[in-house]
Amino acid sequence: MREANEMKELSIDVPVEPPTELKPLFIPIPPEYVEDAYKKDEFLVLVGPQHPGSGHMRIIVRVDGDVIVEAIPDPGYVHRSMEKLAENRLYIQNIPLFERPAIMDNANFNLGYIRAIEEALDIEVPERAKYLRTIMAELCRIGTHLYDAAILAVFIGHTTGFMYPFAVRELICECLVKMTGARFTSSFIIPGGIRRDVDNGILNFVKKATFEIERRLKNFEKIFIKNPATIARLKDVGVLTKQEAIKYGVVGPFLRASGVEYDVRKVESYEAYDELDWEIVVADEGDGYSRFLVRVNEISQSLDIIRQAIGRIPEGDVISQDLFENVNANTKNPKDIRGAFYDVFTNLKLPLGETTTLTEAARGLLLYTIVSDGESNVPYRVRIVSPGWLYLRGFMESLKGERLADLQAIYGSFGYFPPEADR
Amino acid sequence: MKVEKVEFDPISRIIGHINAISVGVKQAIKPERITVEYPRERRKLPDNFRGLILFEKDRCISCFRCAFICPANAIQMELYDNYYPSIDYSKCILCHFCVDSCPTTALKQTKIHDVAFRDLEEMVVHTDEMINPPELVREDTVTVEYKINRELILERKKEVENLIVEVKPVERIEYHSACINPQNCIGCALCASVCPADAISVEINEKKVLSIDINKCTGCGLCVRECPTNTLGLVKR
Amino acid sequence: MLGISEIFEMFKNNMVNIPLIQPIIDALMNIPLVNYVVALVLWKPFFAIAILPGLGGIMLVLLLMVYWERKLTARIQWRVGPLEVFRPLRGLIQPMADGFRYFFQEVIVHVDAHRPYFVQLPILTFIPVLLPILFIPAGEIVAIRSPYAIQIIVALIALIPITIIGIGWASNSRFAYIGSVREAMMYFAYEVPFVIAVLAMILMYGSGDPYVIVEKQSVPGIIMNPIAFLVFFIATLMATSRLPFEIPEADQEIAFGPFVEYSGILFGIVMTLAYEKLYIMCLLMSILFFGGWSGFAIPLLGDLSPVIWLFVKAVVVMLIVALTRSIYPRFRLDQALRMGWTSMLAVSLVSLAVALAIRLSGWLG
Repeated sequence: MREANEMKELSIDVPVEPPTELKPLFIPIPPEYVEDAYKKDEFLVLVGPQHPGSGHMRIIVRVDGDVIVEAIPDPGYVHRSMEKLAENRLYIQNIPLFERPAIMDNANFNLGYIRAIEEALDIEVPERAKYLRTIMAELCRIGTHLYDAAILAVFIGHTTGFMYPFAVRELICECLVKMTGARFTSSFIIPGGIRRDVDNGILNFVKKATFEIERRLKNFEKIFIKNPATIARLKDVGVLTKQEAIKYGVVGPFLRASGVEYDVRKVESYEAYDELDWEIVVADEGDGYSRFLVRVNEISQSLDIIRQAIGRIPEGDVISQDLFENVNANTKNPKDIRGAFYDVFTNLKLPLGETTTLTEAARGLLLYTIVSDGESNVPYRVRIVSPGWLYLRGFMESLKGERLADLQAIYGSFGYFPPEADR
Repeated sequence: MKVEKVEFDPISRIIGHINAISVGVKQAIKPERITVEYPRERRKLPDNFRGLILFEKDRCISCFRCAFICPANAIQMELYDNYYPSIDYSKCILCHFCVDSCPTTALKQTKIHDVAFRDLEEMVVHTDEMINPPELVREDTVTVEYKINRELILERKKEVENLIVEVKPVERIEYHSACINPQNCIGCALCASVCPADAISVEINEKKVLSIDINKCTGCGLCVRECPTNTLGLVKR
Repeated sequence: MLGISEIFEMFKNNMVNIPLIQPIIDALMNIPLVNYVVALVLWKPFFAIAILPGLGGIMLVLLLMVYWERKLTARIQWRVGPLEVFRPLRGLIQPMADGFRYFFQEVIVHVDAHRPYFVQLPILTFIPVLLPILFIPAGEIVAIRSPYAIQIIVALIALIPITIIGIGWASNSRFAYIGSVREAMMYFAYEVPFVIAVLAMILMYGSGDPYVIVEKQSVPGIIMNPIAFLVFFIATLMATSRLPFEIPEADQEIAFGPFVEYSGILFGIVMTLAYEKLYIMCLLMSILFFGGWSGFAIPLLGDLSPVIWLFVKAVVVMLIVALTRSIYPRFRLDQALRMGWTSMLAVSLVSLAVALAIRLSGWLG
């Protein structure tokens, strides 16, 4: 990578003082590191947090000329202490909270938490609810992938590539608003099912929307995905080999881009995924472009899953009857929770112990652990390990040896989303 | 499934350039735009849209469920002739847990999503302001609906959408409060003090006697929640 | 020593002749003092610099180009673009509104900046932008007539990056520093193929005199030597830092590079720099490849007719250049450099060979 090293470098011995701005600011690196960098003819560039290409985080980049020697992340700018907040709320009140880390991906983030509750309480979810949850999760996955594609596009300067996915995402928002009543942050998945049944006419609209999304994405493919300038920017940039990807604990589509065939939806199947016909998308190169392509291909897989799910969805209840046992609910409508929400869910108590679920969120593996003391209606401890946090290390490692201009391209290829990682 | 390999030789590069430029030119001539010019047009929203919340006083049984369930602590109960909810929209996240919790459909969703408040204090919407829909300055004359037959069509209709949704009350299973474990009663009279319908009276002599007027009782369950000794319970009518 | 009357005579003898407004000019010329002003404004060299294709043209182009670029990009991107500033004209005066906003914004000069240079360089950049216009003729309207005009214009265009590098240096910030290094690198990337492409055209026409060049273009230059045009076009994109070569500014990477520390009207001025450069290069492009000011004469406009032809041609080219912004992402610096020194250099040499072949065939005499 570093061709500059092969040539003989002329060094001029000029005493360089680290700039004053590196001293007063809070930087998570020791002052010796700063001095060391400046002694070695290298310097530090602080990318973020007020930078158009950094997101809500700071990356301290040590560069030698134009080549990145080391990148140190400084995350936590959007830390909201969700795990602590969750300890003071009812189990049910945590639902809107836990979709906040990644609001594009709200269904997947809710699903993980709710599956942990269901597992602890041993609630059987009706089939129709499972299918509807799958459809929502896949819609959110497409939405997130489109969002990330848009951010990648704007990071490498392609504004049309930014606008097209957002326009397509508008269709997904339309589907979600018709299904749940909210464009995102739907809080629609509840323990034992979903809040209310979704009309078959709306499902038909969703099915038609998948074809329209596919048609519109063809424009996006021509103008951005297959654009030679995009390929030139992303190809062979930020390469993570299979071994490295496993070693640094990269997850999700970014792990699959390095050639590891791992998807929680297949490995520990949940909801209706094992009843549907789909494949894990993998790529071998592990570079920025394959990370992007894997997600693009996952979009078409997800569209396929949605169509199949709508085709096979059974009629029936959407809220488990188990919930209405032993409570004096004001209504016992298994198709709509309205009127009984409070009665059913406020006194939800999980049995003593610990429950863990793995979910495949759009950006990768998502882990929820709920620890319950068995007495109170609030969790004793909730642990969230979000995909962003897991692949941050891999992201930083893949920056090494690349050029400073590639920082944004690699950032975009990982779709790193600080609110999700910081929780 | 392996990702399809993307060719990057000179010829496919030229084809890529031509494709990209052709899409650009095509869209410049005939754009597939989906813009809704919002204040002048309005997107048609489904009836279950989670917007501003309206309140119907006659239906309310002052059960406090909405205030208890609110994850953002936005709902405060205000005392008029009884306790009724008020919503602080600076906190509200429009999750509509309150609407789903309301046993009598006194809280109703609307499609209103664009109310402007002058300051934070005004964002606390009191009960009397929740009964009637807020004043909206509406510029829209056209309602746009997303329709898909093969392609997405923005169907523009010259009509003003009614943002208030007619909500059918849920079929309620009626309950009333009852003394299920009379031996537990310690005569604290908490139940009587919280009862919004004044249905409970407590008589304290050697035997602690709770008497519940079933006709007055709305089945809100406040007394059941308040009772420290599990004396009371809800019973189907 | 020239007296005032002699200077006035000099102006009067070399005035732009516009039959359409001739009666008004005649009337104005009879009013004392005003006639001096009118004579100066319509004096051909002054007219060329100050009105068309000079400063006035630049201002017009800036307003038009900013609006057109935003509107076209919006259209391609399924948006609407500027609309709300004066809705009956679909937001046409948006650039003017932006200009006003810049005027009333605070200009912040940060402590580390080299204050005198930081403030004056954006204004000084107008000099290298306007210098080439001295040599760009439009029919009879020309400031300085020279048989080596094209060569001089190319040399003067090369001055523009120096001011940008100066701006970056005076800003004294690391993103500005990286940006000005990138600007210098980009200059290396495009300059050689650009000069070779221009040389090919000069070789083909056998002269660097715009009048000869325009005269010889019975067939437009783009058809005679499309390869040189390709190189010239890409070099224009690189020189004016338009996407896909918007490398020195790269707002997502280095936050507008050399201009990162500017605010208020100073930012407004430096932002227009690339557009001004684009305008000059498009004027040069129309002379070399699109037959310059040739076009059917409009009798009512008289001397103004060729100027308008040149201006319209340049503007049309600019409008097409605006398209690239919504089609391409940004290349990396090393990729642009490699492109400049391999494929573009090779193609420019081919264009030189084509020009040589045309020259030797004796087609253009």
